[in-house]
Amino acid sequence: MQTKIIIKSLSELPTMPSTIDTMVWNQTGDWRYLTPVIKNKQAPCSQSCPLGISIPGYLNSVKNGNLEAALAMLLAYNPLPVLTGRLCYHPCQGKCVRRKIDRAISIQKIERFLADLGTGVKIEKSRKIDKRVVVIGSGPLGLSCAFYLGCRGCQVVVLDPCKQAGGALVDLSPEKIEPQVLANEINRLIRLADIKLETGVLIDFGTSGKLVSKADLIILDPTGLSKDFSAPVSAVAFNPFDDETITGNIITIKLSQNLKPFKATMIAHYIAAGRLMAQKAFDCLVPRSGQQSIAQPNPDLPRQAVAMEDIRIERFLSSDLTAEAEAKQEGTWNQERVLQEAERCLSCGTCTLCLQCVSFCPDASILLDEDTTTVTVDLDHCKGCGICAYECPRGVITMEEISP
Amino acid sequence: MKKVVMGNEAAALAAALARVQVVSAYPITPQTVIVENLSEIIGRGELKAKYIPVESEHSAMASCIGASMAGARAFTASSSQGLVYMHEMLHYAAGARVPVVMVNCNRALAPPWNLYCDHTDSLAQRDTGWLQYYCADAQDVLDAILIAYSVAEQALLPVMINLDAFYLTHTSELVDVPDQKTVDIFLPPYHPSNKLDVDDPKTFGNVCGADLFTSIKYKRYCDTLALEKLWNQTAVKFCDHFNRLHSAVEAYQTEDADVCIIGIATATGAMRLAVDRLRKEGLKAGSLRLAMVRPFPLEGFKKAIANIKHVIVIDRDVSYGAEGIVAQEVKAGLFDHHGDVKLTGFIAGVGGNDMSVETIVPLVQQAISGAGAAVEAGTTLWAEVLP
Repeated sequence: MQTKIIIKSLSELPTMPSTIDTMVWNQTGDWRYLTPVIKNKQAPCSQSCPLGISIPGYLNSVKNGNLEAALAMLLAYNPLPVLTGRLCYHPCQGKCVRRKIDRAISIQKIERFLADLGTGVKIEKSRKIDKRVVVIGSGPLGLSCAFYLGCRGCQVVVLDPCKQAGGALVDLSPEKIEPQVLANEINRLIRLADIKLETGVLIDFGTSGKLVSKADLIILDPTGLSKDFSAPVSAVAFNPFDDETITGNIITIKLSQNLKPFKATMIAHYIAAGRLMAQKAFDCLVPRSGQQSIAQPNPDLPRQAVAMEDIRIERFLSSDLTAEAEAKQEGTWNQERVLQEAERCLSCGTCTLCLQCVSFCPDASILLDEDTTTVTVDLDHCKGCGICAYECPRGVITMEEISP
Repeated sequence: MKKVVMGNEAAALAAALARVQVVSAYPITPQTVIVENLSEIIGRGELKAKYIPVESEHSAMASCIGASMAGARAFTASSSQGLVYMHEMLHYAAGARVPVVMVNCNRALAPPWNLYCDHTDSLAQRDTGWLQYYCADAQDVLDAILIAYSVAEQALLPVMINLDAFYLTHTSELVDVPDQKTVDIFLPPYHPSNKLDVDDPKTFGNVCGADLFTSIKYKRYCDTLALEKLWNQTAVKFCDHFNRLHSAVEAYQTEDADVCIIGIATATGAMRLAVDRLRKEGLKAGSLRLAMVRPFPLEGFKKAIANIKHVIVIDRDVSYGAEGIVAQEVKAGLFDHHGDVKLTGFIAGVGGNDMSVETIVPLVQQAISGAGAAVEAGTTLWAEVLP
């Protein structure tokens, strides 16, 4: 630490009011009230996604040309990307930081491209456990719930009284979703999660209904059943967003008012409800003390976005995606355009060492470390002005109240 | 080379001869000709300088300060409303000790709106720490700007050269334009020892406690007081090259005078003619031009008024609630003067009224006899007021 020079006479004073040597001795860090914290965090797009999809994560895989990893990551958060790629209102794009620079990343187009690319994707069979779940109704909520339970090894059967699978999705016009595209997407989900789907079945909650009577848990999907369907008296209403503990073995899923009646643009919310239902059902079927206990949800994530660490679907996926690149749908971008678009992603929430903070800091108090892999704040001198947090294009720096 | 030019053109020529490196200005009547001429000179490539067309006078001075801190010779010009808008930066320039030279064209302050000559705009900047010089004619404009750069760069203090609106800015006169070679000898390039330099990083104008603050201000105060002497020494050097002397004060027939008319700027020419006429009428009159108002040229002033019994100050400005600003300055200069001196202060010529011999002679007569057209208000007499 350099020491302060003491000026003892007028002649030692510079004519121009300026420093005459280093000011390092002046530890202005004790002026600070708010402290810049440099920490990778969830990007604004992911934060606004009802499914909490790590959008910069999969876009980064796209940038690196690893479409397989990108699709696997997408599927881990969302088993119906073909549908969200066509129907979802994409709040992620509304929060895209690039809107301030030029225009939002077309996340929807990239999602749709990846979804359409991977209809032939395969998965390794997961180890089955002795838990039987029947999901009645094959709407997006039921399918999502069945998918996540299936991926965790439960023996899942989806029963639909209608002949055509898809529940409320079946009623959508072909302009919104072609029947064949819907059928393919449901088939992929069934195959990936290693579950069974039976349509046009008579639902019998009595002893004669074989599948139903043997089940450990029966879940009724409001997006898959018509209004006329009457739930048995023993069914317990359960809102996956609000309720925690499951009682009884027949659950009828209750949705909040904004999700009723079924709205196609809100599809991601139904998928999120299904995923949350699966998590809570699994907690009930397999107690936490057991071998397959589930990790605690990450408190940093929004409530609807369940921590995905325990599922690791992406680890089991394998496919030859490039072979299918040509079999694309009308309205889906080509690979070249998708790669160009993904390149525009700033990877918000992740420090890319752009060093904007270093150049904007008026007190030279943000330093690139010697190994040039991280930047750190010189807390002896940082006054907490917050310019770094304002200038960081990726929102990695936040000003926080930190007790010394 | 002799040329017929307006005062504004003389100012632009002087800035070009001084080889200024940065011109940052915002146009305003009656200054516009200066910056138009400079932009053309720079545009034609005759002067290697950066011309910054800023959005305000505040920014004009701010960029001159920045340029000067980086070691460039900087110039700007303004007037009236523009000058008072610069006020904050005027303090900063003097405090930062940057040798910026600016031209101010003295114009009345609104409201009511008036584009003509009045000195209140610049005299209201007395306390900003700038050397203030008031030109008498176009030759004085050209020469004073060259002397100003030399003085500013020796003292590291800014200089304001003032031109009377229209009487000087837009009046054509015969001016001797010096050749560049001789100017270059008189005014070598500016190479400050302390400046903004990426290879030698320093903080300028940073926070400073009361102990050093007092000493820094004291140093600046002493350096500002020394400007009268420095100006006169530099003016003598200038005279050696160009054979024209521009001192901080110019006394006319004061040696044996009883009465002395004191003023600033272009009207001092008419004051001399008035002295001639009054002497013919038997009055022992003299006149004193304060070319420099800040710092107050106390040494030259005291010498000139040593034997004067009655001082008459004609102000083209006013400090509301007090009196004419030059009269205030003169009073302060007389305070420790031995002997009984009478002072009469007039306010005349404000907002563009012509200050001719016909204006001045009756005022002097009124000061002596007590009878005349000027009306008394507080300690001053206002000329040219409606009955």
